[in-house]
Amino acid sequence: MSELFVELFSEEIPARLQVNARNELKKNIKNFFIDNQIKFNENFNVYSTPNRLVLHVDKIPNEIKLSSEEIKGPNVNAPEKALEGFIRSNNTIFEKIFKKNTEKGEFYFFNKESRKIKVSDLLEKNLSEILKKIAWNKSMKWANYDLYWGRPLKSILAIFNKKPLNFDFNHINSSNKTFIDKSLEEGMKIFNDFHSYLKFFKQKGIFIDQDLRKKIIQNKINEIINKKNLKIEQNDRLIDEIVNIVEKPAVIVCDFDKKFLNIPSEILITTMQSHQKYLPTFDKKNNLTNNFFVVSDIKDTKGFVKLGNQRVIEARLSDAEFFWEKNKTQNLVKQVDKLKNINYFKGLGSYFDKIQRMRKLSSLISDDFLISKDKIEIASSICKVDLMSDLVGEFPELQGIVGGHFARFQGFDKEVCLAVSEQYLPNGMESKLPKKMYSVALSLSDKLDSLVGFFGINLKPTSSKDPYTIRRMAISLIRLIVENEIKIKLKDLIVYTCSVYRDQGYEFDIKKIQNELSDFIIERLKNYLKEKKIRQDIIESSTFLIGLDDILKAYKKSLCLNKNIKKEIGFETIAAYKRSSNILNAEEKMSTKSLGFADPGLFKNDYEKKLYKKINDIRKYFLSIEKDENYEESLKILSSIKNEVNDFFDNVIVNDEDIIIKKNRLELLNMLCKTFDNYFNFSKIEA
Amino acid sequence: MVSKIKKKTLSFQDTIFNLQKYWSKKGCVILQPYDLEVGAGTFHPATTLRSLGPKPWKTAYVQPSRRPTDGRYGDNPNRLQHYYQFQVLIKPSPKEIKKMYLNSLSSIGINHEEHDIRFVEDDWESPTLGAAGLGWEVWCDGMEVTQFTYFQQMAGVECKPVSVEITYGLERLCMFIQNKKSVFDLIWNDEGITYKDVFHQSEKEFSAYNFEYANTDNLFKIFEMFEEETKLLVEKKISLPAYDQCLKCSHVFNILDARGVISVAQRAEYIARIRELTKSIGKVWIESQS
Repeated sequence: MSELFVELFSEEIPARLQVNARNELKKNIKNFFIDNQIKFNENFNVYSTPNRLVLHVDKIPNEIKLSSEEIKGPNVNAPEKALEGFIRSNNTIFEKIFKKNTEKGEFYFFNKESRKIKVSDLLEKNLSEILKKIAWNKSMKWANYDLYWGRPLKSILAIFNKKPLNFDFNHINSSNKTFIDKSLEEGMKIFNDFHSYLKFFKQKGIFIDQDLRKKIIQNKINEIINKKNLKIEQNDRLIDEIVNIVEKPAVIVCDFDKKFLNIPSEILITTMQSHQKYLPTFDKKNNLTNNFFVVSDIKDTKGFVKLGNQRVIEARLSDAEFFWEKNKTQNLVKQVDKLKNINYFKGLGSYFDKIQRMRKLSSLISDDFLISKDKIEIASSICKVDLMSDLVGEFPELQGIVGGHFARFQGFDKEVCLAVSEQYLPNGMESKLPKKMYSVALSLSDKLDSLVGFFGINLKPTSSKDPYTIRRMAISLIRLIVENEIKIKLKDLIVYTCSVYRDQGYEFDIKKIQNELSDFIIERLKNYLKEKKIRQDIIESSTFLIGLDDILKAYKKSLCLNKNIKKEIGFETIAAYKRSSNILNAEEKMSTKSLGFADPGLFKNDYEKKLYKKINDIRKYFLSIEKDENYEESLKILSSIKNEVNDFFDNVIVNDEDIIIKKNRLELLNMLCKTFDNYFNFSKIEA
Repeated sequence: MVSKIKKKTLSFQDTIFNLQKYWSKKGCVILQPYDLEVGAGTFHPATTLRSLGPKPWKTAYVQPSRRPTDGRYGDNPNRLQHYYQFQVLIKPSPKEIKKMYLNSLSSIGINHEEHDIRFVEDDWESPTLGAAGLGWEVWCDGMEVTQFTYFQQMAGVECKPVSVEITYGLERLCMFIQNKKSVFDLIWNDEGITYKDVFHQSEKEFSAYNFEYANTDNLFKIFEMFEEETKLLVEKKISLPAYDQCLKCSHVFNILDARGVISVAQRAEYIARIRELTKSIGKVWIESQS
């Protein structure tokens, strides 16, 4: 049993590309072993540092035995050249070729004997192809070469069973050597196995294994925050990025001048996290502190790294402070007019036009939400002003949030400020969801305006492209409605949005927008339910022929059925429905002539009468429901028909000799199905 | 107490001298700044045009760079509408370029064994040049000091061979070396002249020009004229004069942008117009190279 050990040394590969390359390499090598029927330790790993992509697989046999096989050659009537080629390619002689009849005629065959192949030979032959198959999310060329790689590839070390594997990958020849110093790319050293390689670098403080680096960083941070009574925010994305931009992690605690804590914390946090990859810290009350962590790639023996980073953050925060002080006093209301100079989107007017539309829309929504019309109109009017500030110029990701801070500073109503802050939320599936009605109203009107506008100028997403993130907008709209359980007439709102656009002089094809947008939103709803892990058949049935105003209902029902489908109330309901509908399906002609009700006068026994009564009870229940249907309760009531249905099928033969009686019984079952369909389209549910 | 011998602070001009000497020893043609207003060292024809075509090329030069929108009337310690870049371009990109770069930092007093030098992903794109590249911004103890880019495309043409471009932000770098919080406090030479002495008035006056006084009606007209001239010269197949005219378009556009008279939609249109000019010039240049 042997190990395969490959190291690809390159210039610094970006963090997310490393992750992508690790996964690709892992997949490709796994496929290679499986395709060639070579045993290997399936728990193998691919590691990376910015400069090194390392593959290590052990428990591989040195040889594999290929069993004998019959190889089919050309047809006996094929030109002689074909036969010669076949003989040559199989490295054999004419005497060993034989003829055999097959379904498709007589062919030449060759019996390839069982033989042993060295795995190292196979690897040498295939590694180049395996590496070529790595699908980079983004790759480049350099110098005069034709190779594409994440960043310039400098050397390949490849070892099998402690011996070098020799192959060419484009212009690079593999060897058993690699660079020790990643910076100057100097000092080649020979390695013959993975263990000594790991050990060698560990002695230099370098950790090849990304998970180990993560642990080291986290342990060190935890040690310090425990000592200092601090907290850090769980931020996996940032930690994972940091882990992949260092090979020799050293955690350094730095601080900045406390006076900067007067700037809104989001600005400080964004500066630290997104711009500098620092980890901000918080006190026990979740207030940001002036301490932060830098993960350096070098031991800071002279203190230069700490000093340098502190200077950088001071400079950046001075900038931010300057802008904050300048912008916060600039009167939001007085600036609204200037939005006329800022284009919202070509064909959809300026931001001033947009907020006029949002104001009307949110004002209409406020009637449904029972919130103050004045307040939501103010929020709509000022919500985009921050786009003109220096701060949003510097921190575009903080649009809205910054506006909320300006509004707060200028003494706007609390709910207005929050609505401005949260106007862009949620932003897709994962993001935070606003809960306050003012925020929801403002966000809804923003999204509706955008969706109608983009559909109006025909910039719908295609199957592969969605440059304006319209899908995400629709998902966000759906989340606002269903997760907050808001009952609004979405259809009317879209019609109204269209008319607001029309008032501004936009000549949209309103009917077309309504149809397309409606289909689009329902499609997104299906997608959303899928993300929520709802069964596909439940999704199909809950969204079957629904209108835009029913998306909350569809969401709740599908959630309820998904939860209960394996439980008794779900199971029994479906069983009762299926027993009835199966018979109806078998008698398909029936449905076309259905009267829609059974005639109690034609019942022959109590089982029919009892079932009829039960169906009518259920119908009464559905009629009695007003606004707030309890879907679980409804399902329970449907399932309670179990006894009547079972008794009916156990004792009544639907297929009576008397055609009138038979028809009446079918009508009864049809009533049952129709009643059930009233709740849910069960015909699409798989039992 | 052990007293350290205080090293002489490397002045702004000495930093430039050292880099020039260093890259000169590496075989680069040391050029002087291009004599037109440009937004970055990349716009110098020694980079834009010379990175196209098959002929090897190595150069290094200082390029004054103008970014009208970044002007702050000399009030902001970190922002200027006119600053200096030190630019290196080598085609094809040499194998040991990282080593060469790190040693160039040593030549100006930054030892990579004492500082946290990081190559942070930063792919570059210039819509006006129709150019794109992959590379990094180089951080020194958290401060961005250099852009390091492998050109993949220039003037809409795929680069073959690929050039590597190294762009040092000289002011940033010197602020780091001299430990200054404001660009205006940088020591220019050993006589005690500061960056403020040399450039403060210029920052103030040019900010006023860029933001307040530039005659936009005329500039719109001038843009058209330069554009027309570029097209004419492209037809005549003289790429270098055509490129000059195109650079002038680009600068006029930048001033108009700073004056805030170009809307978002117009902006994209102007950029596309300049890109088309660059592309047509690139074609003529490549033809002239074979």
